Amino acid sequence: MTLGEIEVVSAKNLKDALSVLHDRSGNIKPIAGGTDAIIQVREASLQTKRLLDISSLPELRYIRREGSVIRIGALSTYSEIIESPMLNSSCRMLVEASRMIGSLQIQNRATIGGNLANASPAGDTIPPLFALGADVKVQNHEHSRIVPVEKFFLGYRKIDLMPDELITEISFEAVEDPHDGTFVKLGLREGHFISLVSLAIRVKWAPDGDRFSDVRIALGAVAPVALRARKCEEYLKNRTLAEEMIWSAGKVASDESSPISDLRASANYRRAVIPSLLYQAAQLLITDRQRRQKP
Amino acid sequence: MERQFSFRLNGRQVSVSAPPAYTLLEVLRERLDVTGPKEDCKKGECGACTLLMNGKPVLSCLVLISQAEGAEIVTSEGFMRDGSPDHVQKAFIENGAVQCGHCIPGFIVSTEALLSRNPNPSVEEIKRALAGNLCRCTGYASIIRAVQQAAQKD
Repeated sequence: MTLGEIEVVSAKNLKDALSVLHDRSGNIKPIAGGTDAIIQVREASLQTKRLLDISSLPELRYIRREGSVIRIGALSTYSEIIESPMLNSSCRMLVEASRMIGSLQIQNRATIGGNLANASPAGDTIPPLFALGADVKVQNHEHSRIVPVEKFFLGYRKIDLMPDELITEISFEAVEDPHDGTFVKLGLREGHFISLVSLAIRVKWAPDGDRFSDVRIALGAVAPVALRARKCEEYLKNRTLAEEMIWSAGKVASDESSPISDLRASANYRRAVIPSLLYQAAQLLITDRQRRQKP
Repeated sequence: MERQFSFRLNGRQVSVSAPPAYTLLEVLRERLDVTGPKEDCKKGECGACTLLMNGKPVLSCLVLISQAEGAEIVTSEGFMRDGSPDHVQKAFIENGAVQCGHCIPGFIVSTEALLSRNPNPSVEEIKRALAGNLCRCTGYASIIRAVQQAAQKD
Protein backbone atom coordinates (compact mmCIF):
# COMPACT_ATOMS: atom_id res chain seq x y z
CA MET A 1 0.00 0.00 0.00
CA THR A 2 1.37 3.40 -0.87
CA LEU A 3 -0.02 6.49 0.79
CA GLY A 4 -1.84 7.33 -2.44
CA GLU A 5 -3.97 4.19 -2.23
CA ILE A 6 -5.09 4.56 1.36
CA GLU A 7 -8.50 5.80 2.33
CA VAL A 8 -8.73 8.31 5.17
CA VAL A 9 -11.79 8.76 7.33
CA SER A 10 -11.70 12.02 9.29
CA ALA A 11 -13.47 11.83 12.62
CA LYS A 12 -15.15 15.00 13.81
CA ASN A 13 -15.70 14.02 17.40
CA LEU A 14 -15.05 11.13 19.75
CA LYS A 15 -18.46 9.52 19.31
CA ASP A 16 -18.04 9.58 15.56
CA ALA A 17 -14.52 8.07 15.83
CA LEU A 18 -15.68 5.25 18.12
CA SER A 19 -18.62 4.35 15.92
CA VAL A 20 -16.38 4.21 12.83
CA LEU A 21 -13.99 1.94 14.74
CA HIS A 22 -16.91 -0.25 15.78
CA ASP A 23 -18.42 -0.47 12.27
CA ARG A 24 -15.13 -1.23 10.57
CA SER A 25 -13.52 -3.06 13.41
CA GLY A 26 -10.11 -4.42 12.48
CA ASN A 27 -10.20 -2.75 9.07
CA ILE A 28 -9.12 0.73 10.02
CA LYS A 29 -6.19 2.08 12.00
CA PRO A 30 -6.32 5.28 14.02
CA ILE A 31 -3.77 7.97 13.28
CA ALA A 32 -3.17 10.89 15.64
CA GLY A 33 -0.09 13.11 15.27
CA GLY A 34 1.20 10.69 12.65
CA THR A 35 4.88 11.18 13.46
CA ASP A 36 5.37 7.43 13.79
CA ALA A 37 2.32 6.10 11.92
CA ILE A 38 3.00 7.84 8.59
CA ILE A 39 6.55 6.49 8.51
CA GLN A 40 5.30 3.01 9.40
CA VAL A 41 2.71 3.07 6.61
CA ARG A 42 5.33 4.26 4.15
CA GLU A 43 7.77 1.55 5.22
CA ALA A 44 4.97 -1.05 5.28
CA SER A 45 5.52 -2.02 8.91
CA LEU A 46 1.93 -0.81 9.42
CA GLN A 47 -0.31 -2.39 6.81
CA THR A 48 -3.76 -0.97 6.39
CA LYS A 49 -6.09 0.17 3.65
CA ARG A 50 -7.80 2.74 5.83
CA LEU A 51 -6.74 5.30 8.37
CA LEU A 52 -9.03 6.96 10.87
CA ASP A 53 -7.75 10.47 11.46
CA ILE A 54 -8.42 11.36 15.09
CA SER A 55 -5.92 14.23 15.22
CA SER A 56 -8.53 16.91 15.62
CA LEU A 57 -10.98 15.38 18.08
CA PRO A 58 -11.69 18.30 20.40
CA GLU A 59 -12.62 16.15 23.42
CA LEU A 60 -9.25 14.50 23.87
CA ARG A 61 -7.11 17.60 24.07
CA TYR A 62 -6.90 18.78 27.67
CA ILE A 63 -4.60 18.86 30.65
CA ARG A 64 -6.44 19.43 33.90
CA ARG A 65 -6.36 18.75 37.56
CA GLU A 66 -9.16 17.39 39.73
CA GLY A 67 -8.18 17.38 43.40
CA SER A 68 -4.87 15.57 43.55
CA VAL A 69 -5.39 13.79 40.21
CA ILE A 70 -3.95 15.07 36.93
CA ARG A 71 -5.82 14.10 33.78
CA ILE A 72 -4.31 14.37 30.31
CA GLY A 73 -6.40 13.87 27.18
CA ALA A 74 -4.74 11.34 24.89
CA LEU A 75 -4.39 13.81 22.01
CA SER A 76 -2.41 16.33 24.03
CA THR A 77 0.82 17.05 22.20
CA TYR A 78 4.27 17.11 23.76
CA SER A 79 4.35 20.88 23.20
CA GLU A 80 1.13 21.23 25.19
CA ILE A 81 2.63 19.12 27.98
CA ILE A 82 5.88 21.13 27.94
CA GLU A 83 3.99 24.42 28.06
CA SER A 84 1.57 23.41 30.83
CA PRO A 85 2.35 25.44 33.99
CA MET A 86 0.43 22.88 36.03
CA LEU A 87 2.55 19.96 34.79
CA ASN A 88 5.74 21.97 35.21
CA SER A 89 4.92 22.42 38.89
CA SER A 90 3.16 19.12 39.62
CA CYS A 91 4.77 16.54 37.36
CA ARG A 92 8.03 17.78 35.97
CA MET A 93 9.25 14.33 34.93
CA LEU A 94 6.65 14.15 32.20
CA VAL A 95 7.64 17.62 31.02
CA GLU A 96 11.33 16.65 31.04
CA ALA A 97 10.59 13.49 29.05
CA SER A 98 8.45 15.37 26.51
CA ARG A 99 11.11 18.00 26.03
CA MET A 100 13.61 15.29 25.08
CA ILE A 101 11.41 13.69 22.45
CA GLY A 102 12.29 14.53 18.85
CA SER A 103 12.49 18.11 17.65
CA LEU A 104 10.14 21.03 18.16
CA GLN A 105 8.43 20.07 14.89
CA ILE A 106 7.75 16.57 16.25
CA GLN A 107 6.67 17.89 19.66
CA ASN A 108 4.09 20.10 17.95
CA ARG A 109 2.34 17.09 16.38
CA ALA A 110 3.11 13.97 18.39
CA THR A 111 0.68 13.01 21.15
CA ILE A 112 1.04 11.23 24.47
CA GLY A 113 -1.66 8.73 23.49
CA GLY A 114 0.26 8.03 20.31
CA ASN A 115 3.39 7.33 22.29
CA LEU A 116 1.49 4.68 24.28
CA ALA A 117 -0.21 3.20 21.20
CA ASN A 118 3.06 3.01 19.28
CA ALA A 119 4.50 1.09 22.25
CA SER A 120 8.14 1.44 21.29
CA PRO A 121 10.48 0.01 23.95
CA ALA A 122 12.22 3.40 23.72
CA GLY A 123 9.01 5.45 24.05
CA ASP A 124 10.01 8.23 26.41
CA THR A 125 6.72 9.00 28.13
CA ILE A 126 6.30 5.37 29.17
CA PRO A 127 8.89 5.15 32.00
CA PRO A 128 7.52 8.32 33.64
CA LEU A 129 3.98 6.92 33.46
CA PHE A 130 5.21 3.66 35.04
CA ALA A 131 6.95 5.61 37.81
CA LEU A 132 3.82 7.71 38.32
CA GLY A 133 1.63 4.61 38.53
CA ALA A 134 -0.59 6.14 35.85
CA ASP A 135 -3.94 4.79 34.71
CA VAL A 136 -4.81 4.50 31.03
CA LYS A 137 -8.43 5.00 30.06
CA VAL A 138 -9.61 3.27 26.90
CA GLN A 139 -13.03 3.52 25.32
CA ASN A 140 -15.09 1.81 22.68
CA HIS A 141 -18.50 2.89 21.38
CA GLU A 142 -20.27 1.42 24.40
CA HIS A 143 -18.07 1.64 27.45
CA SER A 144 -14.76 2.65 28.90
CA ARG A 145 -12.30 0.86 31.12
CA ILE A 146 -9.27 1.85 33.15
CA VAL A 147 -6.02 -0.12 32.88
CA PRO A 148 -3.00 0.48 35.12
CA VAL A 149 -0.21 1.47 32.73
CA GLU A 150 2.00 -1.46 33.72
CA LYS A 151 -0.77 -3.86 32.69
CA PHE A 152 -1.45 -1.94 29.49
CA PHE A 153 1.84 -3.13 27.98
CA LEU A 154 1.65 -6.84 27.26
CA GLY A 155 4.90 -7.45 25.39
CA TYR A 156 7.05 -6.13 22.61
CA ARG A 157 4.83 -3.56 20.86
CA LYS A 158 1.75 -5.31 22.26
CA ILE A 159 -0.81 -3.33 24.22
CA ASP A 160 -4.13 -4.08 25.87
CA LEU A 161 -6.25 -2.30 23.28
CA MET A 162 -8.94 -3.87 21.11
CA PRO A 163 -9.33 -2.83 17.46
CA ASP A 164 -12.54 -0.92 18.31
CA GLU A 165 -10.99 0.98 21.23
CA LEU A 166 -9.16 4.28 21.55
CA ILE A 167 -6.86 5.47 24.31
CA THR A 168 -8.70 8.50 25.66
CA GLU A 169 -7.02 9.63 28.88
CA ILE A 170 -3.97 9.23 31.08
CA SER A 171 -4.31 10.07 34.77
CA PHE A 172 -2.06 9.98 37.83
CA GLU A 173 -1.52 11.59 41.23
CA ALA A 174 0.20 14.98 41.17
CA VAL A 175 3.80 14.85 42.33
CA GLU A 176 4.10 17.36 45.15
CA ASP A 177 6.11 17.84 48.30
CA PRO A 178 7.17 15.55 49.98
CA HIS A 179 7.10 13.75 46.62
CA ASP A 180 9.37 14.55 43.72
CA GLY A 181 10.50 12.91 40.52
CA THR A 182 12.64 13.30 37.45
CA PHE A 183 13.46 11.73 34.10
CA VAL A 184 16.91 11.22 32.59
CA LYS A 185 17.95 9.59 29.37
CA LEU A 186 21.10 8.75 27.52
CA GLY A 187 21.53 8.93 23.77
CA LEU A 188 24.31 9.23 21.24
CA ARG A 189 24.25 13.02 21.09
CA GLU A 190 22.78 15.92 22.99
CA GLY A 191 19.72 16.85 20.97
CA HIS A 192 16.95 15.01 19.24
CA PHE A 193 17.81 11.39 19.85
CA ILE A 194 16.28 8.02 20.55
CA SER A 195 16.91 6.72 24.05
CA LEU A 196 19.61 4.11 24.56
CA VAL A 197 18.49 3.92 28.14
CA SER A 198 16.05 6.09 30.06
CA LEU A 199 15.08 6.24 33.69
CA ALA A 200 12.16 7.81 35.52
CA ILE A 201 12.06 8.04 39.29
CA ARG A 202 9.32 9.14 41.67
CA VAL A 203 10.22 9.43 45.33
CA LYS A 204 8.71 10.38 48.64
CA TRP A 205 11.20 12.16 50.86
CA ALA A 206 11.39 11.02 54.50
CA PRO A 207 10.87 13.99 56.86
CA ASP A 208 14.57 14.07 57.82
CA GLY A 209 15.45 14.58 54.14
CA ASP A 210 18.35 12.13 53.94
CA ARG A 211 16.46 9.19 52.47
CA PHE A 212 13.48 8.23 50.36
CA SER A 213 10.65 6.62 52.30
CA ASP A 214 9.11 5.48 49.02
CA VAL A 215 10.61 5.04 45.56
CA ARG A 216 9.33 4.01 42.15
CA ILE A 217 11.83 3.56 39.33
CA ALA A 218 11.11 2.67 35.73
CA LEU A 219 13.65 1.95 33.02
CA GLY A 220 13.11 2.45 29.30
CA ALA A 221 14.79 0.84 26.29
CA VAL A 222 16.33 -1.99 28.30
CA ALA A 223 13.57 -4.57 27.88
CA PRO A 224 10.73 -5.26 25.39
CA VAL A 225 8.56 -2.95 27.48
CA ALA A 226 9.37 -0.37 30.14
CA LEU A 227 10.42 -2.03 33.36
CA ARG A 228 9.82 -1.29 37.03
CA ALA A 229 13.14 -1.82 38.84
CA ARG A 230 11.44 -3.24 41.91
CA LYS A 231 14.52 -4.74 43.58
CA CYS A 232 16.33 -1.46 43.18
CA GLU A 233 13.34 0.36 44.68
CA GLU A 234 13.42 -1.95 47.73
CA TYR A 235 17.16 -1.45 48.05
CA LEU A 236 16.89 2.35 48.01
CA LYS A 237 13.93 2.62 50.32
CA ASN A 238 14.79 4.15 53.70
CA ARG A 239 18.53 3.85 53.16
CA THR A 240 20.57 7.01 53.79
CA LEU A 241 21.46 8.57 50.45
CA ALA A 242 25.21 8.10 50.57
CA GLU A 243 27.12 8.03 47.28
CA GLU A 244 28.15 4.37 47.57
CA MET A 245 24.63 3.30 48.42
CA ILE A 246 23.27 4.99 45.29
CA TRP A 247 25.89 3.29 43.10
CA SER A 248 25.06 -0.08 44.65
CA ALA A 249 21.37 0.54 44.04
CA GLY A 250 22.20 1.29 40.42
CA LYS A 251 23.88 -2.09 40.09
CA VAL A 252 20.75 -3.75 41.44
CA ALA A 253 18.71 -1.99 38.73
CA SER A 254 21.27 -3.03 36.15
CA ASP A 255 20.84 -6.69 37.13
CA GLU A 256 17.07 -6.39 36.77
CA SER A 257 17.25 -5.12 33.19
CA SER A 258 17.33 -7.28 30.07
CA PRO A 259 18.58 -5.05 27.26
CA ILE A 260 19.36 -6.14 23.74
CA SER A 261 22.22 -5.19 21.45
CA ASP A 262 21.19 -3.18 18.42
CA LEU A 263 22.67 -0.62 16.06
CA ARG A 264 22.61 2.04 18.74
CA ALA A 265 24.32 0.25 21.62
CA SER A 266 25.32 -3.14 22.96
CA ALA A 267 23.43 -4.83 25.77
CA ASN A 268 26.51 -4.61 27.99
CA TYR A 269 26.83 -0.90 27.42
CA ARG A 270 23.18 -0.32 28.22
CA ARG A 271 23.49 -2.37 31.40
CA ALA A 272 26.67 -0.52 32.36
CA VAL A 273 25.16 2.97 32.13
CA ILE A 274 22.06 2.29 34.25
CA PRO A 275 23.89 3.04 37.54
CA SER A 276 25.11 6.34 36.08
CA LEU A 277 21.57 7.33 35.13
CA LEU A 278 20.27 6.47 38.59
CA TYR A 279 23.13 8.42 40.15
CA GLN A 280 22.41 11.42 37.95
CA ALA A 281 18.69 11.33 38.78
CA ALA A 282 19.27 10.91 42.52
CA GLN A 283 21.79 13.77 42.61
CA LEU A 284 19.33 15.99 40.80
CA LEU A 285 16.61 15.25 43.36
CA ILE A 286 19.04 15.76 46.25
CA THR A 287 20.37 19.12 45.03
CA ASP A 288 16.89 20.36 44.18
CA ARG A 289 15.69 19.52 47.66
CA GLN A 290 18.69 21.25 49.22
CA ARG A 291 17.94 24.33 47.12
CA ARG A 292 14.31 24.32 48.25
CA GLN A 293 15.28 23.98 51.91
CA LYS A 294 17.51 27.07 51.82
CA PRO A 295 15.78 30.21 53.05
CA MET B 1 -9.91 8.07 -5.03
CA GLU B 2 -9.07 11.74 -4.89
CA ARG B 3 -10.86 14.20 -2.66
CA GLN B 4 -11.09 17.95 -2.55
CA PHE B 5 -9.24 19.75 0.25
CA SER B 6 -9.18 23.40 1.12
CA PHE B 7 -6.94 25.33 3.45
CA ARG B 8 -5.17 28.67 3.65
CA LEU B 9 -1.73 28.73 2.04
CA ASN B 10 0.54 31.73 2.50
CA GLY B 11 -2.45 33.95 3.11
CA ARG B 12 -4.60 32.71 0.22
CA GLN B 13 -7.46 30.26 0.31
CA VAL B 14 -6.63 27.22 -1.87
CA SER B 15 -8.61 24.20 -2.94
CA VAL B 16 -6.89 21.13 -4.34
CA SER B 17 -7.76 17.62 -5.35
CA ALA B 18 -5.53 14.85 -3.95
CA PRO B 19 -5.54 11.31 -2.59
CA PRO B 20 -6.50 11.70 1.09
CA ALA B 21 -3.38 10.01 2.47
CA TYR B 22 -0.96 12.05 0.41
CA THR B 23 1.26 14.08 2.64
CA LEU B 24 0.88 17.81 2.82
CA LEU B 25 4.42 17.99 1.42
CA GLU B 26 3.50 15.95 -1.67
CA VAL B 27 0.41 18.04 -2.31
CA LEU B 28 2.29 21.33 -1.99
CA ARG B 29 5.13 20.28 -4.27
CA GLU B 30 3.32 18.14 -6.82
CA ARG B 31 -0.14 19.69 -7.02
CA LEU B 32 0.41 23.32 -6.04
CA ASP B 33 3.98 23.94 -7.25
CA VAL B 34 5.00 25.27 -3.87
CA THR B 35 8.56 23.96 -3.73
CA GLY B 36 9.98 25.76 -0.68
CA PRO B 37 9.42 22.71 1.55
CA LYS B 38 11.88 20.03 0.43
CA GLU B 39 11.58 16.27 0.53
CA ASP B 40 14.66 14.58 1.96
CA CYS B 41 14.47 11.97 4.69
CA LYS B 42 10.69 11.44 4.70
CA LYS B 43 10.92 10.25 8.29
CA GLY B 44 10.88 13.38 10.40
CA GLU B 45 14.59 13.73 11.00
CA CYS B 46 15.95 16.38 8.63
CA GLY B 47 13.51 19.29 8.91
CA ALA B 48 13.78 20.26 5.22
CA CYS B 49 9.99 20.11 4.84
CA THR B 50 9.26 22.36 7.85
CA LEU B 51 6.34 24.76 7.49
CA LEU B 52 3.95 26.50 9.85
CA MET B 53 0.65 24.80 10.47
CA ASN B 54 -1.70 26.98 12.52
CA GLY B 55 1.30 29.01 13.60
CA LYS B 56 3.52 26.15 14.71
CA PRO B 57 6.47 24.57 12.91
CA VAL B 58 5.66 21.02 11.82
CA LEU B 59 7.07 18.54 9.31
CA SER B 60 4.94 18.43 6.18
CA CYS B 61 6.24 14.94 5.32
CA LEU B 62 4.45 13.76 8.48
CA VAL B 63 1.11 15.49 8.01
CA LEU B 64 -1.56 13.96 5.80
CA ILE B 65 -3.39 16.34 3.49
CA SER B 66 -6.57 15.13 5.24
CA GLN B 67 -5.15 16.48 8.49
CA ALA B 68 -4.47 19.88 6.93
CA GLU B 69 -8.08 20.48 5.91
CA GLY B 70 -9.06 23.97 7.07
CA ALA B 71 -5.58 24.72 8.43
CA GLU B 72 -3.50 27.86 8.05
CA ILE B 73 -0.28 26.86 6.26
CA VAL B 74 2.75 29.11 5.79
CA THR B 75 5.84 27.99 3.88
CA SER B 76 9.13 29.87 3.43
CA GLU B 77 7.58 31.58 0.40
CA GLY B 78 4.94 33.08 2.66
CA PHE B 79 7.48 35.26 4.46
CA MET B 80 8.52 37.15 1.30
CA ARG B 81 7.62 40.84 1.32
CA ASP B 82 6.29 42.02 -2.06
CA GLY B 83 8.38 39.43 -3.87
CA SER B 84 11.59 40.25 -1.97
CA PRO B 85 13.31 38.39 0.85
CA ASP B 86 12.28 39.52 4.34
CA HIS B 87 14.81 40.41 7.06
CA VAL B 88 15.29 36.78 8.12
CA GLN B 89 15.89 35.59 4.57
CA LYS B 90 18.26 38.52 3.95
CA ALA B 91 20.19 37.74 7.13
CA PHE B 92 20.78 34.17 5.89
CA ILE B 93 22.12 35.53 2.57
CA GLU B 94 24.27 38.23 4.17
CA ASN B 95 25.85 35.81 6.63
CA GLY B 96 26.70 33.17 4.04
CA ALA B 97 24.38 30.82 5.90
CA VAL B 98 23.36 29.29 2.58
CA GLN B 99 25.54 26.88 0.66
CA CYS B 100 23.66 24.32 -1.39
CA GLY B 101 20.47 25.92 -0.09
CA HIS B 102 18.41 22.77 0.18
CA CYS B 103 17.81 22.92 3.94
CA ILE B 104 17.37 26.68 4.09
CA PRO B 105 13.58 27.01 3.55
CA GLY B 106 13.11 24.78 6.60
CA PHE B 107 15.59 26.84 8.61
CA ILE B 108 13.81 30.04 7.56
CA VAL B 109 10.46 28.73 8.81
CA SER B 110 11.92 27.53 12.12
CA THR B 111 13.70 30.88 12.56
CA GLU B 112 10.56 32.90 11.80
CA ALA B 113 8.62 30.78 14.34
CA LEU B 114 11.34 31.28 16.96
CA LEU B 115 11.58 35.05 16.49
CA SER B 116 7.82 35.50 16.56
CA ARG B 117 7.62 34.04 20.06
CA ASN B 118 11.06 35.10 21.29
CA PRO B 119 12.45 38.22 19.60
CA ASN B 120 15.76 38.08 21.50
CA PRO B 121 16.82 34.44 21.69
CA SER B 122 20.08 33.34 23.33
CA VAL B 123 22.46 31.11 21.34
CA GLU B 124 21.19 28.19 23.41
CA GLU B 125 17.57 29.02 22.54
CA ILE B 126 18.48 29.35 18.86
CA LYS B 127 20.16 25.95 18.91
CA ARG B 128 17.16 24.38 20.58
CA ALA B 129 14.69 25.95 18.13
CA LEU B 130 16.73 24.81 15.14
CA ALA B 131 17.66 21.36 16.48
CA GLY B 132 15.11 19.76 14.16
CA ASN B 133 16.71 21.23 11.03
CA LEU B 134 19.83 19.60 9.63
CA CYS B 135 22.39 21.29 7.36
CA ARG B 136 25.18 19.22 5.86
CA CYS B 137 27.06 22.03 4.06
CA THR B 138 27.83 25.14 6.05
CA GLY B 139 27.87 23.92 9.58
CA TYR B 140 25.73 25.88 11.97
CA ALA B 141 27.89 28.83 13.02
CA SER B 142 26.86 31.05 10.11
CA ILE B 143 23.23 30.02 10.52
CA ILE B 144 23.27 31.03 14.18
CA ARG B 145 24.90 34.37 13.22
CA ALA B 146 22.14 34.90 10.66
CA VAL B 147 19.43 34.30 13.27
CA GLN B 148 21.12 36.71 15.67
CA GLN B 149 21.30 39.38 12.98
CA ALA B 150 17.65 38.83 12.05
CA ALA B 151 16.70 39.15 15.72
CA GLN B 152 18.37 42.57 15.93
CA LYS B 153 16.34 43.81 13.00
CA ASP B 154 13.11 42.28 14.21
